[in-house]
Amino acid sequence: MCGLDRRTFRDAAIVVLLSVVAALAFNALRGDGAIPLVAKEAYRILVPCPEPVGEVEPIQAGDVRWGGARELVLDARLAHEREAWRTDRARHLAFDFLDPVSDEALADLVASNAARVVVFGDGLAPDSGQELARELAGRGMVNVFFVQGGWSAVRAVLEPAAEVRP
Amino acid sequence: MSRFTAWRGHAWIGLPLRLYLGGVFLLACHDKILHPSGFALDVATYQLLPLQLVNLQALVLPWLELFVGLMLVVAFRTRAAALLVNAMMVMFMAALVWALMQGLDMGCGCFASEGGDDPISWHTIVRDGIWLAMGLYIQLFDRRPLGLDRLFMRRNDA
Repeated sequence: MCGLDRRTFRDAAIVVLLSVVAALAFNALRGDGAIPLVAKEAYRILVPCPEPVGEVEPIQAGDVRWGGARELVLDARLAHEREAWRTDRARHLAFDFLDPVSDEALADLVASNAARVVVFGDGLAPDSGQELARELAGRGMVNVFFVQGGWSAVRAVLEPAAEVRP
Repeated sequence: MSRFTAWRGHAWIGLPLRLYLGGVFLLACHDKILHPSGFALDVATYQLLPLQLVNLQALVLPWLELFVGLMLVVAFRTRAAALLVNAMMVMFMAALVWALMQGLDMGCGCFASEGGDDPISWHTIVRDGIWLAMGLYIQLFDRRPLGLDRLFMRRNDA
């Protein structure tokens, strides 16, 4: 029935067994190039990170409409990076190269009805703010900008008297 | 057995399918047998198997491909070979779907290790699906395959 009978399964099992024996014997005999049956340490696999694909424009921190009703400002820095300085005028959405923005977080941003999204990050190269902005643009958001210079440029605008040490 | 299943023409349709699929599997196993460490890396990249099983799979799978490839080409225990081919194709397709769902950007490791393959895509799954359909045809309909199986059947009949 359906090309499957006891004999077929028996033959298949024999072939699998022969393959195991041949593989182990060949590996034992080959000397150079043989691999251990059980890997001793984890393989260093190189899986490229998903690339943010959207195109975004830079913006100066002074051009951001801080507190504007339809301006959504995002802080893309990681939690520990925000310990140095943070502002209540920006919503926190950390950028992670290995962990894309969740659908829920994206829906939350869309629900804000902002006319413009401005992202600032660590200001390094690559700048986490620019990367998050590119990711958001790549996921379909429009009018997404990133602050040139990152958080230190933002701080210089919001707290001009403070000494900025990026 | 239905008239369609009993149709003698299946053997002539099955012949090119067997030669093609057998050739694919023989081609696929060559590099993997010669470079098991590269293939083990490919297996590990899928992140499906526990580390303890990666090397074992990388060693055994190419030999299984070699045996079923030869069995299909010479039509020896053809149904068992087709069963193993189909099982492997289902396994490969499941791994590919999983890798694509995870967004992994990698070569499939189907034919050559160390970057010799095209990156995985839905085309790879469609291709494997076609090969699975060929394997199923051989298993279900090629009941008197042209080759050693038919030769042995004649001897038994005589």
